[in-house]
Amino acid sequence: MSDPQPRPTNSGPGRVLVAVYGVFALAACSRATVQLATKFTEAPLAYVLSAVAGVIYVVATVTLARGTQTSRRVALAAILIEAVGVLAVGTASLLDPEAFPSATVWSTYGIGYGFVPLVLPFVGLAWLYRTRPRAYAS
Amino acid sequence: MSVCQVSVRTPVRLGLVISWLAYTVVVLCGVAIIWGLITAAADKPPGKAQLVFAAFLELVVIVQTVIASAELALGFRPAEFATTIGYLIGIVILIPVAWFWANSERTRFSGVVLAVAALAVLGMTLRLLMLWIPPVLR
Repeated sequence: MSDPQPRPTNSGPGRVLVAVYGVFALAACSRATVQLATKFTEAPLAYVLSAVAGVIYVVATVTLARGTQTSRRVALAAILIEAVGVLAVGTASLLDPEAFPSATVWSTYGIGYGFVPLVLPFVGLAWLYRTRPRAYAS
Repeated sequence: MSVCQVSVRTPVRLGLVISWLAYTVVVLCGVAIIWGLITAAADKPPGKAQLVFAAFLELVVIVQTVIASAELALGFRPAEFATTIGYLIGIVILIPVAWFWANSERTRFSGVVLAVAALAVLGMTLRLLMLWIPPVLR
């Protein structure tokens, strides 16, 4: 509301958001690759979810960085899945620790990453809301 | 027994070289983070000295990765081999990408982007230090 013109998601503070998403894309993908390659049989579910998290972070990073109308819709979907994912995996890892023997990015709501994975989707949603298009006059 | 001691002593000594470098990286990252936040607070894009400093940090990180890779090639085995490889690649990638991203839109947020990358490199370097333990000390 404070901003009269719609803004792209990849400008201003959005640069920082993309950078943080990029770091998590790298972290989650590398982690999943190592887990799937070296100890997949230990906890298949946790490691597949780890890979899913990695893919979601990559999609969110790329779409937020592009900042087009189409890409922000994809970003919204990815970030919604991310929010559900971190809450679901975070809760599941507390309820059933045996299914999550070694930490994934979302285990215990991302405790291994200073709970940034828990906060990040909500910051992302707030940013998409703040930069939302307000006029369809054209 | 004596053969065992020789084979044990070498990785410990190599480990010290790495930790000395790693602590240097940690300190340089700390400076880069603070510097990035200061220019952001001052509402300025990163200055030339700051960018040169980031390049110097990247140089030290590359040296770290090259030495560590050489030690791995010579037979040193850290606590988690695959994870270590991931961190060694990750720390080298982050700063150049952040440099590009920070400079393609130069605002106060460019400094924060550099700070995010430096924080990630700092975290990965600390994790690397934890994993870089000779087998006898595990």
